[in-house]
Amino acid sequence: MKIYLALTVASLKMYFRNKQGLFWALFFPLLIMIIFGIMNFDRYNSPDVGVYDGANNDASRLLIQALRGSDEQELLNVTVSSLEDIHDELEFGSSRAAIEIPANYGASGQFAEIKVTYDERFPQERAVVSTILGQVTDAVFKEIAQVPDEYRVENAIGISESIVVGQGQGFKAWLIPGIAAMAIMQTGLFTVVFTLVRFKSQGVLRRLKATPIGASHFLAGQLTTKAIVVVLQTYVLVIVGALVLGVSVGNGRIGAWFDLTILALLGGALFIALGLAVSGWAKNEETAAPIANIITMPMMFLSGVFFPLSVMPDWLTRWSQYLPLTYLADGMRAITVEGASITTLGSELVGLGVWIVISFAIATKLFRWE
Amino acid sequence: MTTASDPVIVAKDIRKRYGDIIAANGISFEVHRGEVFGMLGPNGAGKTTTVEILEGMREADSGDAVINGVNVKDDPTAVKAMIGVQLQQNAFFDKLKLSEIVDLYAKLYLAKVDPVEILSRVGLDHRKKAKYAELSGGQKQRLSIAVALVNDPAVLFLDEPTTGLDPQARRQLWELVKNIQKNGATIVLTTHYMEEAEELCDRIAVVEHGEIIALDTPDALIDQLLATGFKPEKRVREATLDDVFLNLTGRDLRD
Ligand SMILES: Nc1ncnc2c1ncn2[C@@H]1O[C@H](COP(=O)(O)OP(=O)(O)O)[C@@H](O)[C@H]1O
Ligand SMILES: [Mg+2]
Repeated sequence: MKIYLALTVASLKMYFRNKQGLFWALFFPLLIMIIFGIMNFDRYNSPDVGVYDGANNDASRLLIQALRGSDEQELLNVTVSSLEDIHDELEFGSSRAAIEIPANYGASGQFAEIKVTYDERFPQERAVVSTILGQVTDAVFKEIAQVPDEYRVENAIGISESIVVGQGQGFKAWLIPGIAAMAIMQTGLFTVVFTLVRFKSQGVLRRLKATPIGASHFLAGQLTTKAIVVVLQTYVLVIVGALVLGVSVGNGRIGAWFDLTILALLGGALFIALGLAVSGWAKNEETAAPIANIITMPMMFLSGVFFPLSVMPDWLTRWSQYLPLTYLADGMRAITVEGASITTLGSELVGLGVWIVISFAIATKLFRWE
Repeated sequence: MTTASDPVIVAKDIRKRYGDIIAANGISFEVHRGEVFGMLGPNGAGKTTTVEILEGMREADSGDAVINGVNVKDDPTAVKAMIGVQLQQNAFFDKLKLSEIVDLYAKLYLAKVDPVEILSRVGLDHRKKAKYAELSGGQKQRLSIAVALVNDPAVLFLDEPTTGLDPQARRQLWELVKNIQKNGATIVLTTHYMEEAEELCDRIAVVEHGEIIALDTPDALIDQLLATGFKPEKRVREATLDDVFLNLTGRDLRD
């Protein structure tokens, strides 16, 4: 215990004396967060709407195309996805309306009821979407039915509207937990890789091997240090991000901080273990750096840090949903943006757990003193 | 159990191969308490391999290394706790101050020491606030000896402690080694400097191609050489240990 404490204290001192490490841990993620935040992707000219295409036939595709508008005049920024997703996106503020096209849409002689849900907090967008939807269904109906006005059955396409109160705070709030998750990945992987590989190539680790302590002592000290750093860094990023970008964290729920801490520790453990695995394997910085980059770079873009996974093609998200950073970012986002409690995060916790076990197995297998 | 007269170190028929290279080819010797034992040999002779097997840093293919009655094979951790080690290549955490490094290593042995006192023993107390990276070569070597002393070791291993040092730094280190011996430590030291072996060592094993080709006190080795009718080339005075060494191992350049 004493040995472990001594190693932890020593490596904490070393960490905070390393200005470069602090830069990567804090300034870089903050910079990205603020730049992306002030770019304000919320201010699209055309409102974002999610469409669920229950019919998936020529008629429904025509309708969606019509909702999108033409190149000269974009009407709505349409994302087609599952029923659940479009409602989630509305709920959490990344879209302004959820439009459900029923299965019998376009079937001849049937009454098709399109359901639209709006976020109460955005009346202007609601009016825009409502108007566009009315005009478009009107026009589309005439076109597919090929009937003159006077024979048109007034309500062959009906629109029913409902309203929810979304809780989302838009892109800014969405961005913060993702960046904090990314920062956990960067700190976990890079600071571990660079300190350990440097220690190894310098022979510092070999010198430690000459003492009676085991590798586990040393690694435990490293792990604790980095876990402390990761949690502090997450607090700083989320607090500064929330202040600068003016959003609330977990809808003001105090327990959100506890949940965030747990997730940061889990994420930290995962990426620290991956870092240990890379540093166990790599002989020097030259081989370690590319490996660490190969692991982190794709995840930065495939795990929904800078933009939602829903904007990416399905064949990609089918895989990227299993990435460790996806689980971490989704989990942290659920807590800070959706106001969820950690107890409701099923797949995220399982995903993180599985990755932690895998990474530690690899790390212990690959670790070498020299 | 062990008594005072038992050897502190027993190396028995230690063998180690690296592929085709035989780094240790049946090395046996004993070191007595309070002795400075030198391993003298050219680069690649197998000194580091032998010493690191004794330290529990490498595993021998066969043979036994026993320190203070403990076989290294059976309990390397116990052996590591009893000894102090200066590796041929030493490195310490470069962001820590010297006093912090000594303190950390002391804690790894659960030893209670005053870091400044340890640093003063190697003449580095005035540099206690410096970082490892800021030290000169000689200072780094002295720090690594300071670190090797934190657990008050029964045996101190010094692997080429003066290689790469200038003559002043080298002589300073010799004084340090003599002082440590005076305080009762047993020291195993490797070197390829003859005058160093002659100056410091009570007994010397000359190592070549993984074998001990001569083992005795420096004086006896010189006497034995002179007894063969050897005449030093330049001086008609007595031979130095340099002559013993070169006669035994040949004059070819190594490495
Ligand atoms: N880890 C190793 N892998 C392969 N060969 C080694 C290794 N360590 C030492 N050797 C070889 O064993 C021989 C003895 O080396 P070493 O014990 O370092 O000699 P010395 O310390 O006397 O210079 C050398 O030929 C060296 O190249
Ligand atoms: Mg050597």
